[in-house]
Amino acid sequence: MASQLLPLELIDKCVGSKIWVVMKGEKEFSGTLLGFDDYVNMVLEDVTEFDYEGNHTKLSKILLNGNNICMLIPGGEGPASE
Amino acid sequence: MADIDDGTSAPAEPLDLVRLCLDEIVFVKLRGDRELKGRLHAYDSHCNLVLGDVEETVYVVEEDEDEEEVVKTVHKKSEMMFVRGDSVVLISPQASP
Amino acid sequence: MENGANAGDGRDPSGFLSEIIGSQVTVKLNSGVVYKGELQSVDGYMNIALEKTEEHIDGVKKRSYGDAFVRGNNVMYISAD
Repeated sequence: MASQLLPLELIDKCVGSKIWVVMKGEKEFSGTLLGFDDYVNMVLEDVTEFDYEGNHTKLSKILLNGNNICMLIPGGEGPASE
Repeated sequence: MADIDDGTSAPAEPLDLVRLCLDEIVFVKLRGDRELKGRLHAYDSHCNLVLGDVEETVYVVEEDEDEEEVVKTVHKKSEMMFVRGDSVVLISPQASP
Repeated sequence: MENGANAGDGRDPSGFLSEIIGSQVTVKLNSGVVYKGELQSVDGYMNIALEKTEEHIDGVKKRSYGDAFVRGNNVMYISAD
């Protein structure tokens, strides 16, 4: 049987690298994934927060609540800048 | 995360802050632009609250004749009320202006 | 809240939280409201107790609270300042 990669294993492979997080609703984050837990609460470093109005906010280190995460894109740099 | 509650004033977990508000006046922010000020009689882990002598402030956005948005405040008073925890956003001891 | 691989060094959520207890943080809610204050404690629901808290709405300071309890379900993120 072909080996399959569980979703959380994919995220585990992203630890230490850039990740793009798309939230439910109009908000996105990109940053370096430092760690996560079973609820997919995530610790991100060197974060950019993308607003629905097109604003960017820089954050050094955050704990992102997993509750409102919709989609995770490994290696993603966030929405195309400018 | 399982901090030991030694019963002293420094909150070991966030709900200890609410416990310290028992029988005191609290300010409560609710979802839907509502605020309450009243005496905290009881609470539980869901943040269900029982408040006495409550003043409720509701912020309503209305359009005036020129179709401009104006925020109106509506005040209500209640002797006693139960607040369902899921609508609670913030609880702070002692009312703020 | 535990993830075995690298627990407790400020990289996984619970390690990060214990690292930032007592320091200045920014808490953003799903509604966009921001609270800035000193982090007293957090629990498994992401309920948060803050000290010397300022409330910012649309970047404008609205209120301040000595102590504030924020219910976890409203929290979008906690940022170390």
